[in-house]
Amino acid sequence: MARKPTKDKLLSTLDDIEVLSRELIEMLALSRTQKLPQPGEDTDILELLVQRDREFQELMQTALEQGRVQQEMQALEKEVEKRDSDIQQLQKQLKEAEHILATAVYQAKEKLKSIEKARKGSISSEEIIKYAHRISASNAVCAPLNWVPGDPRRPYPTDLEMRSGILGNMSNMPTNGVNGHLPGDYVSLMFIFANVFLLSLLDILTPQYPWQSADVSMGILPPHHGNDFGLEPPGHNKENEDDVEAMSTDSSSSSSDSD
Amino acid sequence: MAGVMETEEQARHRFQLELEFVQCLANPNYLNFLAQRGYLREKPFVNYLKYLLYWKEPEYAKFLKYPHCLHMLELLQYEHFRKELVNAQCAKFIDEQQILHWQHYSRKRTRLQQALVEQQQQQPQAPSHGNTTSK
Repeated sequence: MARKPTKDKLLSTLDDIEVLSRELIEMLALSRTQKLPQPGEDTDILELLVQRDREFQELMQTALEQGRVQQEMQALEKEVEKRDSDIQQLQKQLKEAEHILATAVYQAKEKLKSIEKARKGSISSEEIIKYAHRISASNAVCAPLNWVPGDPRRPYPTDLEMRSGILGNMSNMPTNGVNGHLPGDYVSLMFIFANVFLLSLLDILTPQYPWQSADVSMGILPPHHGNDFGLEPPGHNKENEDDVEAMSTDSSSSSSDSD
Repeated sequence: MAGVMETEEQARHRFQLELEFVQCLANPNYLNFLAQRGYLREKPFVNYLKYLLYWKEPEYAKFLKYPHCLHMLELLQYEHFRKELVNAQCAKFIDEQQILHWQHYSRKRTRLQQALVEQQQQQPQAPSHGNTTSK
């Protein structure tokens, strides 16, 4: 239920007073010339006038109070605005602080990771120097100072060295020479990943070149693997190849490799 | 994957085999040979190359005499490289570059020695300057 605004009430009361006072004045003006048509009418109008005046006074009081209340409201609103801006400021500062802390934490974590990595890869300098001696002494990483084109030495095992190793003696398949290298012994190298049972049939041959023996007595073993390299390693969602020795001639499968 | 239990003897032998094989990969002519016979296209072989990456770990790498093989092994993981190796010119180029790189240190050393010799030749010409300014 909507209350009539004080302003309208005031204005309507004023209108009433205006009407009543006009009537009264007309009556007074008329009474000069003629007698009152109704004897009690002037008292009625006067009563009404007084009543309306009283109402007017009350409404004025109400209006004054409402004005005061309105001022209080405004003051409170200003307070609210001030507090609001304070809260927003604090919020901004909090966000900034959080951002700075998050960056700091992140960088600290990165640093820890790199420390861990460095620690994991630490090798004693002795070992590194020993290894450096080994690979330099055999001219594997640095050419001999008197090397000229035509010298048969190379930074990789030559076919002579390959043939005289274990791999080279695993099978004897005569084929033609290619580019001066005999591939017949190379072919034999291919079976090592397919035929594990061959290993048990071979005797351990004494190596003739140091790159082939490598301190086997130190007890280091190669990582264990399921012997079937035809199967996909875990983590790939490609077709499985059950038969290891079947050669895949389907070139489209290798082109769909996503490395 | 089904694993066949192998004796320590067999494991040691397999170690030697794999050591030899991985070092053979340093030979670009051998790689060309493998590529031309289509071994590099086979999925089992590609998986085996990936398995051989364990030679990069320090406890295994210390046995390698020809460290170039590790770089070749890494390159072999990429199919593009495996495809390119079929060309003989590609293998020849790799061979040449490899040998040139191999000679890098000795070339640097000869250059340093030459520079040292030149410096020593210049020094006898200016000993008087040093004596007058030594005070």
